[in-house]
Amino acid sequence: MKGVRVLVVDDEPQIQRFLTVALAAAGYEVLTAETGARALRLAATGAPDLIVLDLGLPDRDGKEVLSEIRKFSQTPVIILSARDREAEKIEALDLGADDYVEKPFGIGELTARLRAALRHAASEAQQPPRIEIEGVAMDFDKRLVTRDGVPIKLTPKEYDLLAILFRNAGRVVTHRQILSAVWGRAHTEDTQYLRVFIGQLRAKIERDPTSPRIVTTEPGVGYRAAEA
Amino acid sequence: MVQSSRPDDGRPDPDALLAAFHRENAGRLKVFVGAAPGVGKTYSMLLGARRLKEEGVDVVIGLVETHGRAETAALVEGFEVLPRRMVEYHGRTIAEFDLDAALARKPALIVVDELAHTNAPESRHPKRWQDVQELLAAGIDVWTALNIQHLESLADVVSRISGVVVRETVPDRVLQQATDVVLVDITPDELIQRLHEGKVYVPETARRATQNFFTPGNLTALRELALRRTADRVDDQMVDYLRQKAIEGPWGASERLLACVGPDEVSERVVRRASQLATSLNAAWTAVYIEPAGQEGDAKKAVQIAKTFGLAERLGADTMRLQGNDYPAEILRLARRENVTQIVLGRSRAGLWRRLIGRSLPDELMHRAGAVEIHIVPHEEPARSPRPRFRLNLNPKGLGVEVVAALASVACAVGVGEALTALLQLPNLSMIFLTAVLFSGGLYGTRAAVIASFASFLAYNFFFIPPLYTFTVAQPQELFALLIFLAVAVLTGSLAGRVRDQRESVIKNAQVMQSLYDYSRKLSGASGVDDVLWAAAAHMHSVFGRRILFLVPEGDELQIRAAWPPDAQLDAATLTAARWAQQKNEPAGQGTGTLPRVEYQFRPLVAARGPIAVCGFEPQSPDQPISAEDERALTAILDQTAIALDRALLAREAVQAAAMKENEKVRDALLASLSHDLRTPLASIAGAATSLRALGDKMSAAERLDLLTSIEEETARLSRFVANLLDMSRIEAGNLKVNRDLVDVADVVQGAVERSRKAFPKQPVRVSLAPDLPYVRGDAKLLEQVLFNLLDNAHKYSGDSGAIVHGRKEGADVVLSVTDEGPGVKPADLERIFEKFYRGGRPDGRMPGTGLGLSICRGLIEAMGGTIVAQSPAVRRRGARIVIRLPGAQPKQLEMRPAS
Repeated sequence: MKGVRVLVVDDEPQIQRFLTVALAAAGYEVLTAETGARALRLAATGAPDLIVLDLGLPDRDGKEVLSEIRKFSQTPVIILSARDREAEKIEALDLGADDYVEKPFGIGELTARLRAALRHAASEAQQPPRIEIEGVAMDFDKRLVTRDGVPIKLTPKEYDLLAILFRNAGRVVTHRQILSAVWGRAHTEDTQYLRVFIGQLRAKIERDPTSPRIVTTEPGVGYRAAEA
Repeated sequence: MVQSSRPDDGRPDPDALLAAFHRENAGRLKVFVGAAPGVGKTYSMLLGARRLKEEGVDVVIGLVETHGRAETAALVEGFEVLPRRMVEYHGRTIAEFDLDAALARKPALIVVDELAHTNAPESRHPKRWQDVQELLAAGIDVWTALNIQHLESLADVVSRISGVVVRETVPDRVLQQATDVVLVDITPDELIQRLHEGKVYVPETARRATQNFFTPGNLTALRELALRRTADRVDDQMVDYLRQKAIEGPWGASERLLACVGPDEVSERVVRRASQLATSLNAAWTAVYIEPAGQEGDAKKAVQIAKTFGLAERLGADTMRLQGNDYPAEILRLARRENVTQIVLGRSRAGLWRRLIGRSLPDELMHRAGAVEIHIVPHEEPARSPRPRFRLNLNPKGLGVEVVAALASVACAVGVGEALTALLQLPNLSMIFLTAVLFSGGLYGTRAAVIASFASFLAYNFFFIPPLYTFTVAQPQELFALLIFLAVAVLTGSLAGRVRDQRESVIKNAQVMQSLYDYSRKLSGASGVDDVLWAAAAHMHSVFGRRILFLVPEGDELQIRAAWPPDAQLDAATLTAARWAQQKNEPAGQGTGTLPRVEYQFRPLVAARGPIAVCGFEPQSPDQPISAEDERALTAILDQTAIALDRALLAREAVQAAAMKENEKVRDALLASLSHDLRTPLASIAGAATSLRALGDKMSAAERLDLLTSIEEETARLSRFVANLLDMSRIEAGNLKVNRDLVDVADVVQGAVERSRKAFPKQPVRVSLAPDLPYVRGDAKLLEQVLFNLLDNAHKYSGDSGAIVHGRKEGADVVLSVTDEGPGVKPADLERIFEKFYRGGRPDGRMPGTGLGLSICRGLIEAMGGTIVAQSPAVRRRGARIVIRLPGAQPKQLEMRPAS
């Protein structure tokens, strides 16, 4: 992790304070910004590999800062947000944020998100031909899904659904992102479709479909495949 | 009235369908009509009702008069009979039909006998047919009985036939509205037979009845009336049916009648005749009264006109009042406008005056009417002219001024004449006297002109016609000239008088217009609901000089929102009348058909969305209707008020909606910031703790210490926040315990400052206390909390730039203040910062602090009997100062019990 530079954008000094210490200890190089304006400047000039962005900023809306950043940079962005602000989270994710962490959060959770985002950013260029999560392997070249070596029969939609989740392993994928990737843009509001298909998928791939480990639900936001 | 019909397009007439639809929703009325009492109306009604009851229909007897007839009484057995309402009136108990009980019981069908009955005073409606109409409106079917003699349009026919004056009448439209009319008929001989057998009345009454009313002739005539009326009714139904089914037919009569009425007896006959004509022609009709312009309203005439109009309305006419002096022209103008085909008017005895100067109104009309048919109703003794074309009002009231004016001007003329004859030789002085006549007429009206004419005639003769100073005239040609002079004087004087009268009328109208204009300007300036209503009440009071009040519905209740004089109280009955006006959207109370006994008359104020308020006013007197002029003014004022009130109500609703939205926004912001305030320390604590556990071994000792410190600090911050929330809820719930000990202010200040220094080590706090500070009575712990909150606040808003605590004695009070050098408080917010959850904001809606500190301070200080206010700017145009003032404690008590 040496040399990975994280830009932490948060206006609360006490949050800044422990993030700086903790991320440094975890081996990241830390830049900090208290305002949206400074965050944009540092995002453009400081060459961060990752951005941790609090949505509540004193000078401007965090989502606005996010879409500004997305205009010139694909740097992964992790959102810090409150649990009761679902709509805000989804909006931020659809605006191009890579993931989110709810306050209050443990440092382990944050660093896991950071790692997943970094890995995804790195693998964006070259898709790995095979991803394995919790014993379920997906071979993209052969279009084959196996659990512990035994092939699992998936319908084409189920396969596409699993593929988008596995390719984003460790990251949240919003309902809208899944729906538009698998069913097309016309169906981005049909979340009840999705619930049915996720149920079928879990029945086929999970060891215990009632307490899923491979594909977990992010209530109100979307789904997340476990880290590979 | 069948008036507008479009048979040509072959579609059902919408009006007819609509009427049918209304009939379906409302209850259905079945009227059992008989020619006379005793024909068996009640009997057949009950028989029919019994049949329905056996079929399972929910039939209730509202009221049946058996008149001691055994057969009828037997039929009542087995029915549910509503108890009567007992009314005390002049010491007698009257058993009346209980309308409210019937409405509450709401049966499918109710039997209510004797439709023409007059209710006891104090009842909601004066007449039973009005009760029945309310039952029908409530969707209850009603069966009732009626003797044909009680039908309004036949009342005078009946009284002419039978010599009995019918007082209880039912408007014809009630019968027209009936779904079914059943004629109960027996021959006159049979009826008289029954009468003799005692089946109709008890014997004594029966004997009197036979002599007076139940003669074969009377009965035959009445029977014919009943048969004919019922046949007409069947005709109507046929036409209605044809219209509903869009079948072509002969109903397209476009006849329209105009009845000209005046304040005289013949008018009533004109109205009845017009009604009969209209019914037989199936035509709509209008009763019109043309008020002489510029004449003072005569109370007796107004009563007469109102009576006539009331009759016309009951007989189904529209009524109209016009103003003007040229009656034939006004009538014909109206006739042309309304496409009138026939005019009905009364012929009056033409007076001598009229014969002298012109044609009577009927003559004039016939002369100018053209295609319009004219019906003349002959006058009966002691009929007077319905409306003199040219009227001399020799009413002695107010004559004094006119006599004096006329005589004075004639005296002047004599003086001028004498003076002139002394100077020059004038052949004829009549012009001078004519001037005096014109002068009197022009200034004092027609009567003065006529008086002046005769006075001039005499004076001219006396002073200037030889032989002088006698009334004798020597030369015959002089006498002739004198008479010519008199004629000319009267004519020209009258003309001048009429011009003046008309001018008066115009001025009066202009005054009314001006007053209305002023009022509308006043209204346009009134913004609130109360402003509008008070302006309306004051204006109406100034115009009519009567008590006025306005009621507006608030929730389910009508409430007095404005009144003049302002101390109005309403009793239950009056309030019921007001509610009636509001709910039924029609006038109620005194002078109307609903609750006429109450003191006020109520009119609904109607806007586009329905009645929005009710105006109550006290009519001049119970039996005197409102004059046409007042009515016009009243309507105009109420219309304007309704518009202004509607606007004000809408504005109020908009403001309320906006305030609610604003409230919601504030609540959302509050929740967001509350959750932020709780979450931020929690996030720091959780983050630091997990960092220490996961990554502690990779950190330096200093970094670990820093994280641990941040955990401690954030825990303290969280605990302060929670404590504040608890304090607040305690203050809110009234559970706060405040000690009333003697407190040394200096000690408390010391404690608070030390706490603050621990919490915010970088904030410099300066303390300056007067040495002679008295003790205060209160709670040391809570006072310290207050001061700490203030220092906490100062730190939040001004950071580390410091705070000053100042204390001094002012009179008997101790004044403590905490001053910071932060950005200060806007003048508008100086009071609001003490409100719960209000905070000096930042543009993103997130604010430092909890918004509780200051409101807790105020709660605590007030519990200790002190005050707390904010001042800003405090220092060098910056900063804020919070000033606490607490009453100092008595030195005597101080000696007795030292501070704890």
